[in-house]
Amino acid sequence: MKGRRIKGGSGEGRALCSSAPLSFLGGVDPSTGRVLDPECECRGASVAGSVLCFPYGKGSTVGSYSMYQLKVNGKAPCAIVNASAEPIVATGAIMSGIPMVDGVDVSLMRTGDSVRVDADRGTVEVMDVAEKGVVTDILRHKGRILLLQRSNSVGSYRGQWAGVSGYIEHGEAPERAARRELEEELGLCSVKMARSIDPQMFRDGDVVWTVHAFLFDVGGTDVRIDWEHQAYEWVSPEDVSKYPTVPGLQKVVSKLLA
Amino acid sequence: MYLTSKEERTLAGEEGPGRQKAMELLVAIGDIYGAKRLVPVSSAQVSGASFKTIGDAGIKFLEDFSKEAKATVRASVNPLGLDMRRWRSMGVDSGFRTKQARIVSAYSSMGLEPLYTCTPYLSGNRPRAGQHIAWAESSATVFANSVLGAMTNREGGPSALAAAVVGKTAEYGLHLRENRLPRVRIDLGDVPPGLVPLAGYVVGRIAGNRIPYLPGLSLTPDGHKAFGAAMAATSAVSMYVYTERGGRSRVDSTIVEERVSLPESELAACRESLAGDDSWDLVAMGCPHCSPAELRSMARYLKDRRPSNEQDVWFCTCRKAYAACPDAVRVLKRFGKVLCDTCMVVSPIEKMYRRTASDSGKAMVYLPTLGRQRATFRTTDQLLEAISR
Repeated sequence: MKGRRIKGGSGEGRALCSSAPLSFLGGVDPSTGRVLDPECECRGASVAGSVLCFPYGKGSTVGSYSMYQLKVNGKAPCAIVNASAEPIVATGAIMSGIPMVDGVDVSLMRTGDSVRVDADRGTVEVMDVAEKGVVTDILRHKGRILLLQRSNSVGSYRGQWAGVSGYIEHGEAPERAARRELEEELGLCSVKMARSIDPQMFRDGDVVWTVHAFLFDVGGTDVRIDWEHQAYEWVSPEDVSKYPTVPGLQKVVSKLLA
Repeated sequence: MYLTSKEERTLAGEEGPGRQKAMELLVAIGDIYGAKRLVPVSSAQVSGASFKTIGDAGIKFLEDFSKEAKATVRASVNPLGLDMRRWRSMGVDSGFRTKQARIVSAYSSMGLEPLYTCTPYLSGNRPRAGQHIAWAESSATVFANSVLGAMTNREGGPSALAAAVVGKTAEYGLHLRENRLPRVRIDLGDVPPGLVPLAGYVVGRIAGNRIPYLPGLSLTPDGHKAFGAAMAATSAVSMYVYTERGGRSRVDSTIVEERVSLPESELAACRESLAGDDSWDLVAMGCPHCSPAELRSMARYLKDRRPSNEQDVWFCTCRKAYAACPDAVRVLKRFGKVLCDTCMVVSPIEKMYRRTASDSGKAMVYLPTLGRQRATFRTTDQLLEAISR
């Protein structure tokens, strides 16, 4: 993942992730490195030597000094990754010489991931996690969208509901892949693309799915499905949440229709 | 952010690790806030001087940093956790004093002016209109922006120190004229002099992060000092725009999005909510630090009265004001301690007292939290009456 350098340097270690904002004053014990903040799901774990991942910092400006104390006590994280840096943590990282990157989607990282941070280049590499590029086509007709239930013959997410989807082949442009899947799975050619959005990333186990999503308007509701699917339904967008779907489908749909 | 070739060299470490670290800090903050460049500052005011607020971590950082960094512009330091001369009679223990002394020597070895006050503008570090400065003390920041017309954001302690070392700060926020326009107009009506701090307290809560425009705000300089300190304590905003009653100055109100008339009842309700009770261990004046005019005015009231001796009394001020009015100080000393270098907000007050009364709106925010006090607001006149007979 590519982010922005806040403090240069590099670090490699196990990720320690908090989905809640973190305060270093009172939130982390400067002598042991243990997380004390009760709102933090990694409470009790030590930040020492970790790649510490959290959305952004909160709390007193004295937190910058607390980070320095962690460093002096040998309990500092080896790197910090934020979604968006604010001045307290950025100041603390620079004062303490802790490599730091922001602009990274920390929701894609999990505690225990093996992570390499090269803050000079602004990169965060999550090892043992594969990134896979896929397309998802959402078909729309008169305000309803097409959901397809994946069959038992496919390699992943059997029985779950999805759009028309498939891997992007090596060197293939996403839109081309999107149209290829439409033709292969539904036999549709030359449909009108209404919209595409920036790729969305979702973490599921050891895979990060990079989803290139496209919205197509179609003239009718007749659908011919192939072996990859066992059922289909035209649903109103609000009802997507009622179906067991592949990861992130609801977010993709709401972004496409926004 | 654009850096000149000299700034690039500083960032690359060619001028030593201290200036490099300071530059890294300024550039990172500038990038976070979308600054296009650095701007030279004529002075800095550094917060984070009391051992109580920065702790052992702060000492360690300042001692390490002071070995490699020196201030290159005029820079003064915020109040400490004690009076350097009368710490023992304040009730501060020697362990605290030892730690505080290490902070003091770290700052002085970096060439910072030992003013130890939140009112540097009354002690010689007084910027002129239009000058860019990098000040951290929130009450001083408001005064500089609103009354003196200087330009500063509310810096953090480390970033103000970095600005002192580099002599520049990132140009964003209140350093840009377009960001100094009011977004909310608040009509205050008549504010009795003793309640000026509470007016600031209430205005801050309404303003949030928007610069307020206060038409007809006719205050003495000390009134502005108390008003702005309270406003900064209850808001994220470091500036207000005002006109004097009957004044002719024009205010650009093109982006004012809301207009609020503050009913008198609001001020009364605020006073009620901070009324506390009548039994106090300590009466603390001087947040922000008392000016010479305030010391003299209190001495005038107390001169022919006797102390009631029902509680301890602190008059907090800066060394310069203390030296400027020896007669007033002599009178005040009959009623309590006239303390320099420190105040009720940053001293270890929780180790000495539990219930404190003050005439400061700012102190009403920090006494209950940082100071763990049961806090009571009274006007200056009410407090002077309570401590004397």
